[in-house]
Amino acid sequence: MNRPRGVWLVIGRLAMVTPSRYLGGGVLWVLLFVAPLLSGLVLQALFDSISGERTASLDAALWLCAAFVAVELVRGGLFWSALVLWAYWWNGAGTTLRANTLRSILTARGPAKSRLPHSSGEAVARFRDDVNDLVMVTDQLVDLIGAILFAAGAFAIMASIDPVITVVLVLPLTVIAVLNRMLRVVIARIHRRARQLGAVVTAYIGETFAGVLAIKTAGAEQAVLRRLREHNRRRRDAAVKDRLAMDMLDTATSATVEVSVGLVLLLAAPAMRTGEFTVGDFALFISYVSWLTMLPRVLGRMLYRVPQGAVATERLGRLMADHEDADHLSEHAGFWFHSDPPPAMTTTPERTDPLETLEARGLTVVHDDAGRGLHDVDLTLKRGTFTVVTGAVGAGKTTLVRALLGLLPLDAGSVSWNGRPIDDPGTFLVPDRVAYAGQVPRLFSESLRENLLLGWPAPPDSVEAAIELAVFDDDVAAMPEGMDTVVGSRGVRLSGGQVQRATAARALVRRPDLLVVDDLSSALDVETERRLWNRIGTATGAGHGPAALLVVSHRRAALERADQVVILDRGRVVGVGPLPELLRDCPEMRRLWSEELVVEAEEDTQADQRRG
Amino acid sequence: MENPLPALERLRSIDFPIMNSQLDASHPDARRLVLSTLRPGRRAMFALVLAVLAATVLPLVAPLFTRRFVDGAMAGDGLRLLTFIALGYLGFAVAGQLARMLTAWLASRLAWDGTNRLRELLAAHALGLDMAYHRQRTPGEMIERVDGDVDAIAQFVVAFLLDVVVSVLLLFGVVAVVFAVDPRIGAVLLVYCVALVVGMVRAQRLAVPAATTVRQRHAALFGQLEERLAGAEDIRANGAGHHVVNRLHQSSAELYRADLRAERIAGGLYAGTTVAFAVGTALVLGMAAWGHNAGTLTVGTAVLLFQYMQMVRAPFERLIDQLKNYQKALAAVSRVGGLLAEQRTLPVPAHPQPLPPVGPLSIDMDGVAFAYPDDDEQILADVDLHLAPGETLGLVGRTGSGKTTIARMVLRLYDPTAGSVRVGGVDLRDVGLADLHQRVCVVTQDVQLFAASVRDNLTLFRASDSTASPDASADVPPDIDGAMSETNTDRYSDDRLRSVLAEVGLEDWLDALPDGLDTVLGPQGEGVSAGEAQLLAFARAFLTNAGVVVLDEASSRLDPATELRIDAALDRLLAARTGVLIAHRLSSLSRVDKIAVVDDGRVMEYGRRAELDAAGVAR
Repeated sequence: MNRPRGVWLVIGRLAMVTPSRYLGGGVLWVLLFVAPLLSGLVLQALFDSISGERTASLDAALWLCAAFVAVELVRGGLFWSALVLWAYWWNGAGTTLRANTLRSILTARGPAKSRLPHSSGEAVARFRDDVNDLVMVTDQLVDLIGAILFAAGAFAIMASIDPVITVVLVLPLTVIAVLNRMLRVVIARIHRRARQLGAVVTAYIGETFAGVLAIKTAGAEQAVLRRLREHNRRRRDAAVKDRLAMDMLDTATSATVEVSVGLVLLLAAPAMRTGEFTVGDFALFISYVSWLTMLPRVLGRMLYRVPQGAVATERLGRLMADHEDADHLSEHAGFWFHSDPPPAMTTTPERTDPLETLEARGLTVVHDDAGRGLHDVDLTLKRGTFTVVTGAVGAGKTTLVRALLGLLPLDAGSVSWNGRPIDDPGTFLVPDRVAYAGQVPRLFSESLRENLLLGWPAPPDSVEAAIELAVFDDDVAAMPEGMDTVVGSRGVRLSGGQVQRATAARALVRRPDLLVVDDLSSALDVETERRLWNRIGTATGAGHGPAALLVVSHRRAALERADQVVILDRGRVVGVGPLPELLRDCPEMRRLWSEELVVEAEEDTQADQRRG
Repeated sequence: MENPLPALERLRSIDFPIMNSQLDASHPDARRLVLSTLRPGRRAMFALVLAVLAATVLPLVAPLFTRRFVDGAMAGDGLRLLTFIALGYLGFAVAGQLARMLTAWLASRLAWDGTNRLRELLAAHALGLDMAYHRQRTPGEMIERVDGDVDAIAQFVVAFLLDVVVSVLLLFGVVAVVFAVDPRIGAVLLVYCVALVVGMVRAQRLAVPAATTVRQRHAALFGQLEERLAGAEDIRANGAGHHVVNRLHQSSAELYRADLRAERIAGGLYAGTTVAFAVGTALVLGMAAWGHNAGTLTVGTAVLLFQYMQMVRAPFERLIDQLKNYQKALAAVSRVGGLLAEQRTLPVPAHPQPLPPVGPLSIDMDGVAFAYPDDDEQILADVDLHLAPGETLGLVGRTGSGKTTIARMVLRLYDPTAGSVRVGGVDLRDVGLADLHQRVCVVTQDVQLFAASVRDNLTLFRASDSTASPDASADVPPDIDGAMSETNTDRYSDDRLRSVLAEVGLEDWLDALPDGLDTVLGPQGEGVSAGEAQLLAFARAFLTNAGVVVLDEASSRLDPATELRIDAALDRLLAARTGVLIAHRLSSLSRVDKIAVVDDGRVMEYGRRAELDAAGVAR
C-alpha cells in the first residue's frame, strides 16, 4: 500500500461519508473560527468611543457593548449547531471504518488468524485508537482551514492599521510554530515511555495478585514490594517528565501571547503618543493576538496527525485481508443510525451442491515453533460417514481441522468439494455446507437465542431440534429465562460443558451437510459425550441430521462409532481405517486406546462416587 | 467433568454484600490514613506554596502595567518611560507563565511521591491479608484498587493544586484589584462571579447523566467488539460475519443517539458560557465607559478591566472541570480506605514455637472441620489424616470435593473451625509465619510467571534483593520480615539456580535462552509452555528448605515428552520431603504412599495405596 496516498484517500472518503453534514458542519466551524474578527472590530470601536477618539456619546459605547454580546451570541449559536451537525458525521465516519474492518476480518477471503494480533484487547485498541486517529485528522482539516482564514483576515486588518507591528508579530508566531513541530516528536516519545512504564506497574500488580499464593507461601512479600517500589520510582520519573513536557508546550503558547502583547506595547508607544495608534487599535491587536496562536497549534497538530493517520491506515490495513487496502477500508458501505440495517439473511439458502465427497490432499501447515504443524496430510470424507481424528496431545488434530476449514493459512495442499477444487475454503466451507464447533468455543454476552442463531433464519422448531441433538435441552429448560437468558461474560456463567453443547447446537441449527466438532472431552464427561453421538447418529439415520461428521476425539464413544479413524502423530497420518483394523495393525492406536481405557475407568470411578 | 455450580462459585455471590457493608463502617480512620500518606515533606510543601503564590500574583500584576502604559501614552509620557513600562509588562507576564509551569512540575512530583507511597502501602497491606480475602478478588480488581483508584487520586491532587487553588486565588485576586480600582464595578463583578459559579455548577450537573450514557454505550460497543474479535473463528466458521457486522451497526447507532444527546447538552452549555462571559465583559466595559464619561475612570483602567475579564474565563472553566474529578477521587479514597480497613483474620501466635529446622516433617490432621466465615456450608468435616515424615499422600476427588481445602489447611491459609492441624508435631496456630513459609512450600496448578528475568521468576525477586535487612520497611506486618534474615546472595547464587533448573530437567531450556538467567520472560509467561511453567514451579520449590511440599497437579493434558520430564522431577521433589499431592491423573497415584478419596468435604476412603488397590479404588 502506498502509505501517503492511502491516508489521503481515507481522509477524502471519510469527509464524504455524509457530504452534506461534513460540508455544512465544516462551513459552520469555519465561521466560528472567523467570528472573533468581528468581535475585535467591535472592541476597537468600543475602546475608541470610551477614549473619546470618536466623537460619540456614552450611548454609542453602550450600543457597542450590546453589539459585542450579539457577536458572541452568534458565535455560541454557531458552535451549538456545528457540534450537533458534526455528531452525525463523526459517528458515521468512525462506524464506516470499524464496519469495513470487521467485515473484512469476519467475511473476506483468506484466514483471519494471521491478521489478528495475539490478544483481542490489542485488536480492540486498533478499532478504537486507530479509527479515532483517522476521524480526528479529517475533523481537524476543518480547523486548519478556519485558523488559516482567521489569520489571513486578522493580518489584513492589522496591516491596514499598522503594517510594521503586524510584520513583527509574525516572528513569535513562527517561533512557536517551529517549537511546536520540534517538541511534538519529543513529547510523543516521552509520553509513550510514561505510558509503557505505567503499563509495567499495572501488569506487575496484576501478576503479583495472580500469584499471591506463591508469594505468600514463599514469604517473598518484602522482595516483591521492593520491586514494586523500583517500578513505581521509574514510572514517577517518566510521568513527571511527561507532565513537564506537555506543560512546556502550553506555557510556550501562552508566553507567545504575552510576548506579542509586549511587542505591541513597545512598538506602538511612539504612535500612541501621537494618537496615530489608538487605544481601540491596541484592544483589537491584543484580542487578535490571543486567537492567532491557534494557527501554529492547529498546524502543528495537523503535521503530526497526518503521519499518525498514515500509521493508523496501515495498521487497520493489516487487520484486513491481503487483497484489500485503504480503498476497501474507507469504502462507503453505509451506516444505519435511525433504523436497523437490512438483515443478513431472511431465508435459509437453497442447497444446490450437496456433499458427496470432501477431499484434502497434501495439507501442510508449518508452525513457527519447532516441529509442530501438519505434514502432507490426506483426508477423504464421504457422505453418510463418521470420521474421527485422534492422536496424542500436540499431534496436530486441531491444526488439521482448522487447516481443512480454511481457518489457518496452508503452506501446501488443496481441498476439493465433490471433485471440484475449492478456491478459498474459509468462505466456502461454511453453513449450510459445513458447520464447526471449536475446541475453545466462545459465547457472546447476548441471549442464548442470539448466540445460537447469529442471524441464521431458522424456524423455532428446528432450533429446538438442534438443542435436543446437542444434549442441551435439559440445561435450557433449567435456565431462568430459557432461550432469552443472557449468557457470556456479562450474563449467566455457563459451565465448560454447557458452552460446548451450546456451540454444538449453534452448528447443528445450521443443518450442515458436514458437521465438524473439535475435542469435547476437556469439558464433557464420557456419558454426555456418548449421548451426544447417539442422538446425532440417530438423527442422521433418520435423515434430519448432518450427512457426514468429522470429529476430533480420543473417547471410546466416538472411536467405536467411527466408520474411519485417522491417527495423527507429530503432524503426520500414521493410520487410517476402521477401529478394529487399526487396533490390530497400528501400535500408536493401541497405545492411545489403552491409555483411554485407564482414563475413562478413573472417570467412571469418580462418577460412581458422585452417585454413591 | 461437568459440575454446573461449584460450591466456591456460590459462596462468592453470597460473600460480596457482606464485605461491602464492612467497608462503610470503617471509613473515617482509613480516609485519614490515606490523606496522611499523601502529605509531602515540609520543604517540598514550602516550595509549592511559594510557586502557587507566584503563579497567582505575577499574572495579576501584569495588566497594571498596561493600564499605566495606556494612560501614560495618552498623557504624552516620555518614550523611555513607556518602553520601560512595556518591558515591565513583558517580564511579569512571562514570569507568571513560568511560575505556573513550576507549580505544575512541583505538584506532579508531590502527587506521584505521595501516591506511590500509597500504592506501596496498599500492596503491602493486601499482601498481608489472608487467602480468604484473595479468594474473592480477581487480579483485575486488585489492579483497580492499588493502581486505578490511586491514579484517580493522583490526578486530582495535581489538578486540585493547579486548577482549583490557583484558579480560586486568581479569581479572588481579580475581584480584589477591581474593588480597589472601583468599588462599584468590583461589587458588580463579585455578584456576577458568584452567579456564574452557581449557574455553571447547576448546568454541569445536567450534562453528567448524558455523558455517563455515552461512556456506557462506548464501553458496550467496544466490549462487543472484543468478544467478537476473540470469537472471530467461530463467527467465520458459522457464516455469521454479515450478521455480526449488522450488530456493530446497531450498537454504533445507539452510541450515536446517546452522543447526539450529550453533544446537544454540552454544546448548549458551552454556548451559554460563551454568552455569559460576553455579558460579563460588556457589563464591566459599559460601567467603565460610564465611569470614564463621568470622569472617575481612565481609559487605561478600562483596558485593565478588559484584560482581567479575559483572564477569568479559563480559571472558571478549570474549576468546573475539576468537579467531576473531585467526585471520582472521593469515591476512590473511600474504596482505598475500604481496602486498608480489611484486617487479617488468622491470628499471629503470641509465643511462636519453632518447627524442626531440617528434614521432612510429619503431618497430623485430627477431626478437622472448616467453613468459610459468614457461610453455613461445611467445606470440611471430620478429616483425620496422618503422614509420617517423608511419606506422600495422594488426594483424590472431584472438583469442589474439598481436597484443595485440605491441602490449603497444611499451608495454614485457613484455620480449622474444629480439630487441629499439626506439622512436625506443632499446631500450625502456634507456628510463626516466617518459619512456616520456610518449611512448607506449595506448587500451584496454574503457575504465575512474571514479566521479569528467569532469576526473578525462580526466586520471586529475592535474588536481586540482597541488600534487604529485616527492619528496612515498616509497612509490612512484622511477622513476615523474619523470612528475610537469611542471606539471599548465598541462597540464590547463579550456580544454585542453574543446578536447580538442571534438577527439574530445564537445563537445555536454560541453555537455549538468549541471556541465560537474565532472560526476561514475556508478560503472562509468554513463550513458556505450560509444561515448562510447571517445571519452573518445581524449581521454585527446590530452592526452599521445605520439609513439606503441597502439590496441586496440573490437570491439563501435556504432550508425552513433557509428561515424562514432569514425572521425573516430581519423583526427585518428593524424595526427601513429606508430600501432599492433589492428583488429577491416575498414573500420579503410583508414587504416593497413602491415598485419601475426598467427597463432599469428608474423607470417604483412606489408607495405604496397596490396601486400597486391593479394595479396587484404583482399578
